[in-house]
Amino acid sequence: MLKGQQDAYNLNQMTQGGQEMKTLKRVGYPVFILVLCMAIVAGCGNSGGGNGAAPAEGSDKKDSGNNKDRVTLKVEVFDRGNSPEGVTVTNNEMTKYVQENFGDPNNIDVEFVAIPRSEEINNLNVLMAAGTAPDVIFTYNQGAAYSWAKQGGLTDLASAIDEHGPQLKEYLKDSLQYGVFDGSQFAVVARRVHLQKYSSIIRQDWLDQLNMPVPTTTEETYETLKAFKDNKLGGDRTIPFAFALAPDSYEPVIWSFIKEQSDEARYLRSVTIGSREYPILMDGHKEGVQFLNKLYNEGLLDPDFALDKDKKKKTENFVNGHSGLFTFDTGTAFGGESSTVAMLEKNVPDASVVPLLPFTDFEGKSRQPAYTPAGMYIMVPSFSERSAEAIKYLNWMAQDEVIQFMAFGEEGVHFDMVDGFPVGKDGDVGAKLLYNSGDMLIVTNGIDFGSAEKNREYMARMVQEKHREMAKQSMEFSDKDAVQQPIAFDKPLDSEAKYSVVMLEKYEELLVKSIMSSEANFDKTYDAAIKDFMDTAGNEVFAERKAAYEAMK
Amino acid sequence: MSRSFLFRRWQLYVMLILPMTFFIVFKYLPIYGITIAFKEFNVFKGIAGSEWVGLDVFKSIFSQQGFYTALRNTFLLNGLDLVFGFPAPIILAICLNELRMKMFKKVSQTLLYLPHFISWVIIGGMVYQVFSTNYGIVNLVLKEIGLGPFPFLSDKFHWLATYTSVGIWQGVGWGSIIYLAAITGINKELYEAADVDGASRLRKIWHITLPGIRTTIIVLLILKIGDMVDIGFDRPYIIGNVMVRDFSDVLSTYIYRIGLESGQFSIATAVGLFQAIVGLVFILGANYLSKKTTDEGIF
Repeated sequence: MLKGQQDAYNLNQMTQGGQEMKTLKRVGYPVFILVLCMAIVAGCGNSGGGNGAAPAEGSDKKDSGNNKDRVTLKVEVFDRGNSPEGVTVTNNEMTKYVQENFGDPNNIDVEFVAIPRSEEINNLNVLMAAGTAPDVIFTYNQGAAYSWAKQGGLTDLASAIDEHGPQLKEYLKDSLQYGVFDGSQFAVVARRVHLQKYSSIIRQDWLDQLNMPVPTTTEETYETLKAFKDNKLGGDRTIPFAFALAPDSYEPVIWSFIKEQSDEARYLRSVTIGSREYPILMDGHKEGVQFLNKLYNEGLLDPDFALDKDKKKKTENFVNGHSGLFTFDTGTAFGGESSTVAMLEKNVPDASVVPLLPFTDFEGKSRQPAYTPAGMYIMVPSFSERSAEAIKYLNWMAQDEVIQFMAFGEEGVHFDMVDGFPVGKDGDVGAKLLYNSGDMLIVTNGIDFGSAEKNREYMARMVQEKHREMAKQSMEFSDKDAVQQPIAFDKPLDSEAKYSVVMLEKYEELLVKSIMSSEANFDKTYDAAIKDFMDTAGNEVFAERKAAYEAMK
Repeated sequence: MSRSFLFRRWQLYVMLILPMTFFIVFKYLPIYGITIAFKEFNVFKGIAGSEWVGLDVFKSIFSQQGFYTALRNTFLLNGLDLVFGFPAPIILAICLNELRMKMFKKVSQTLLYLPHFISWVIIGGMVYQVFSTNYGIVNLVLKEIGLGPFPFLSDKFHWLATYTSVGIWQGVGWGSIIYLAAITGINKELYEAADVDGASRLRKIWHITLPGIRTTIIVLLILKIGDMVDIGFDRPYIIGNVMVRDFSDVLSTYIYRIGLESGQFSIATAVGLFQAIVGLVFILGANYLSKKTTDEGIF
């Protein structure tokens, strides 16, 4: 806009002043010469730069020669903009620990490279294209990992792992297989300890007021939501079901309506977008969306849910006491003083919540999505010469004592053992060490204490004491009848990588249009949206899925 | 003669070096990147290493429904801006010019410029607060007086009105500066003469002010038409939402999605090239027509 205005100014002046025009013509020739000279100079500069690169490389080698094999290993680290004062993600107590305990003994300088969390893929794409990406990169985005692998941008790590990574191999066990694309080990896949995906809570005090039990089936849940609305328990703004255009809202509902369970159905009639499986063509999908349509038309959802992609409004409605049923990413609603539940209790003093399984499928089971035991994809770009060092680094990290230190710090200094669990000391003694522990300790997502029960117990300890039992119960619920997703092929599918963004958008459109249509128009709207999805990307993706499935059988 | 001019004015040429470098480095050298549109671009092989595929990329674009939707929407939104957004600053400038109270004129001018300096991200948040269906302030008021609520953001036709008017609100003050400047350049004697002849205010506006700024209007109109296929990214991206994507998805957001988010650089480049060529055709066409009909043009 600004630029356009400036152009307009200049032109305006030109047209108004004929005198100046003539002057311009007179000086036109010298200016042209000048431009020409500049172009030549610029060209020279360019080629000079090209030549200059070679000697620079040579001197680099000389340097490293003097330093007897001292090499630099560059490692990505997310920057979430939450560093405590005085430290950065690339220079804090943890990076020093890594340098002292891994770098120095192995004659390696470990250099951390900050990547902004929210711009992760764009940044990595640019760095990969420029050939300047760190030696160790990681992402949760499967599509990006696939696409780099396909274009030949990643190093096959199989031999390096065999040679330098015995400990790593033992630690990761099965999750390593998720990093094999087309028969090559292009990624080291971290372990994921907590597989629970979604949980739900409902307002116990509202149920008490209505004298209703905690709903245990979809039908009961619907009646309860209606009763919430009719009795305006959240005031005039009652939104019985806190709902946003986000997976934690629609996935639990839709999956509970799916009637097909076989692997074949999942291969042939659902698509993978990012790391989620969308059962778009499966028997029951339409009914799931129709149920949401009914809730919408009866005023049980937020009418502006489609604007709320970041779940802000949804959470706001719940913590301010306008909503009764709340579904969330497991592990997020319970916690410290700023957790959703704690905020609700603060804002609405009488409020209390109870965990539940609100949706049941045709068999009366509470089928719900769960994660696969795979965490982030850790990769080494093909242009990196440090694949051996990269594996050495991960191998070093996969030791119990290193994991413990990177997760909790030092016993007695940062934490105390209570009942066999590490409990952080009061105050922020560990802040500068542990604030981004999850982004530094990349070989595992969550800490494994050996059994599901112990892991739950540990997670619950992160929660305010009065909510602990509830949090445990809620996590147990999230495990019930859970199905690990997405179902994976033995190789990445080109079409899914190509259309992942488009498919997600079309799917959201399908949800929004179908849910917001009138009940009479639902069929028409839904069918048109499905057709749109199929025409844009679906047909191609499903054809490839079918071929890949046939080949795999 | 020209030599001595060059010698006398050498400082001017020195000052020219920086902008020229800017244009060469950031505008001319990247033209090489257009070749990506004719290649199967592999980021790891680089531009030179990627294989030529002729016009395949364009064929694949022209077979995608999404591209046509984005193109149509670009014309639609720009068309609305042209019809409603273009005259707005002219009218405002004339109104401001007619104000007699100096203080009031200055204050209102400043207030009108302000929105131009607010980032679209913030405007997006404000729009959401003000126009949301249930709790937006506009709809609360309308509901009270029994008129609403209107789905300003969630119905695609209402959204078009929201989009256009927010754009006018943001740009009208800033856009009027150039017209005000042009009005200042009109010879005062013309107005005095008209006064003597007993012309009314409207007559003066019609016969003196408007013809006086005609050149400026035409130049800006031509530029605007040249920009018909070119649309800013922030405004449709931020004000748009899933419910109105039928209208809010335009070429710039399409390129962003395909190019940066999905990593299909060839397609994004090709769409960009297409945009540039159509833009060139438009601006040449508009200039030609303008020269034919009014004898005014920008080149």
